[in-house]
Amino acid sequence: MPAIRHASKRKAPPAGFSDIEDDLLIFNNKMKDAENAPTTNVSRHQVHWPIFQISHQRSRYVYELYYEKEAISKELYDWLLKNGYADAMLIAKWKKTGYEKTKETNFNSTCICRVPKAQMKEDHAIECVSCGCRGCASSD
Amino acid sequence: MLKSTHQSANAPPPLAEGWTEHKAPTGHTYYYNAATKTSTYTRPVTAAEPTPPAAPLDPSHSFLLYQAVGNHIPSAGPGFNSFSPSNSNFKAVDEVGLVKEVVEEDMIEQEIHGHSLRTNRKRNTLFRIVLLGRFVYNTEKDQSFWRIPEKLKDGILKLDQLRIKEKAEALERVEHPVSTGEAPGAAERPSAAPEANKEAVEGDDSSEYEEVEVTDDEDDEDNPSKRQRTEEPAPDEPVEFDEDDIAFQLAAMGQEYGLERGEYDDGNMEEWDEGAEGMQLSDEDAAALFKDLLNDFGINPYSPWEKLVEEGKLVDDTRYVALTTMKARKEVWEEWTREKIKQLRELRANEEKRDPRLPYLAFLQKHASPKLYWPEFKRKYRKEAAMRDTAMADRDREKLYRDHISRLKLPHSTLKSDLLALLKAQPTAALNNATLASHLPSAILADIRYISLDATTRDPMIEAYISTLPPPPEAATAQEDEEAIKEKNDRERRQKALEDRERRVAEEKRKQKRNLEMGRGRLREEEAEIARAMNVTKKGLFGHLQEDDSTENSGS
Repeated sequence: MPAIRHASKRKAPPAGFSDIEDDLLIFNNKMKDAENAPTTNVSRHQVHWPIFQISHQRSRYVYELYYEKEAISKELYDWLLKNGYADAMLIAKWKKTGYEKTKETNFNSTCICRVPKAQMKEDHAIECVSCGCRGCASSD
Repeated sequence: MLKSTHQSANAPPPLAEGWTEHKAPTGHTYYYNAATKTSTYTRPVTAAEPTPPAAPLDPSHSFLLYQAVGNHIPSAGPGFNSFSPSNSNFKAVDEVGLVKEVVEEDMIEQEIHGHSLRTNRKRNTLFRIVLLGRFVYNTEKDQSFWRIPEKLKDGILKLDQLRIKEKAEALERVEHPVSTGEAPGAAERPSAAPEANKEAVEGDDSSEYEEVEVTDDEDDEDNPSKRQRTEEPAPDEPVEFDEDDIAFQLAAMGQEYGLERGEYDDGNMEEWDEGAEGMQLSDEDAAALFKDLLNDFGINPYSPWEKLVEEGKLVDDTRYVALTTMKARKEVWEEWTREKIKQLRELRANEEKRDPRLPYLAFLQKHASPKLYWPEFKRKYRKEAAMRDTAMADRDREKLYRDHISRLKLPHSTLKSDLLALLKAQPTAALNNATLASHLPSAILADIRYISLDATTRDPMIEAYISTLPPPPEAATAQEDEEAIKEKNDRERRQKALEDRERRVAEEKRKQKRNLEMGRGRLREEEAEIARAMNVTKKGLFGHLQEDDSTENSGS
């Protein structure tokens, strides 16, 4: 049986967490709603799209706070990653050139985000199988 | 305002033969033909004849009219820049007759169209404000409607058709110009012709009232053959106004209100300064406005952009549209968040570190009661900021709560004496007669003994105690103290060294003394030996031997 970690014994989050706590809570609530939404009329491959989207938004939020606005400390950023508020693997992608905004959820192939807008076919409606992205062309 | 100008001084066109005019009990005028025994509300007119032309415009009157029209009027286009009443257009009489029909229904038709602004110069019963669409105005009830009432539809349709016909006639005349000086307008007429034909077709086809209003350049306004001025306008004739006057009024008002030249049309657009138009904000100003907006609404700089957009709080503010694109808004927002976060961080760095126990203890004093156990208390106040503060561990909170509750059960005198003990334990540097009761040192505030007593009994006690204290020690005395301590340490060190030395000296002395003793002893032995050696009797060496024996015997 795993050890029960009681809230009163838990270590407090690093300083600065209270600034972003409310916004993270909003993301959490959205995620809960998306998880509990009925999936009766949704096709099988689309079921996880909202979850992917919210996860991406939240990761992006943490990423921007730390790397672009420098609003949170390294300590807090690490703590957020450790506690699952952001996806470290996704953020690692954003640091690479050409992957600045990618959703990169096609785990083994190139995501549609990586295709430049000029090369996308006009008449072809594209939706990423994993996340529903229509091609945001992050490299553009 | 509008109504007052609509009292037509012009006599209505004469009735057709056989018709008589009557007034109904409701106040309506109707016409009865005794021969055919028919009655109608519409005024039967004999034939179209040119009516007296419009009066010249009194600017003050048209200003009133303008005011009544209100803010529907945009700045007039360049076509209306020259104020020249001489070449303004007139409507034919037949049209006026139809207008009368409409007026009979107590309605005045008004048209709104395109960018230009014009009025019918013919009569002030009908006037047109060409803006966006078309509406109907009731002079008696002082009401206007966008929707044209059913009973007016026929009249307006006829009116439209007539107008189209009139245009066609005018075009014909243009194509076969009369020998009048029409040189200035001649160039544009061929192009205007097909357009007018098209309008005619449209007007016939549509049963609706989307009449395409002809603007001035299409209207052959300097065609004297068509629009003749038969009389000179009488000075007492009612006020009428056309687009030129409205343009003039706009300019006058603009100057009156001290607006910039660009904000109204003063008739010579070419002379405007660069950027004189009101809506031309510079990029920096727009960005600054948007930042002000963000500041005013108290937006959290840590929140994501999507949240801001979804909430839509800012959209209603006029400053929101200072920036035209969403991309620009987002860029400004990003810049703003960066600045704001930086400011916040600096503020926090300057702010002194507060003991997290202080707010909690204050909270405890307010809400803690022996009736609640800790879990109950915690549950009851779990949403309070003092209970959620992450800087303080939960177990510390629990400990303080339990201590506090147990102290509340103690007798009052004990609590008082505890508080006095706490106060006495403070050094004079921290607590002295210059200390304010509201700014006690945190060492006192963070102590559980401080909150045990009720504030009403505690505060007078503390004040009384503070008044008995000595004045604050000088900063120099503190330094002296330090020096004294240093000196004391030095002295101690020196004394210790001295003691060491003394000890060593004493030891030396003892050694010397011992050596002396030993030397003396040896001397004494030698002396004794010598004395013995000197002690030679008749017996010679025998006496020595005997003595030796006796000493040996006594020794053994």
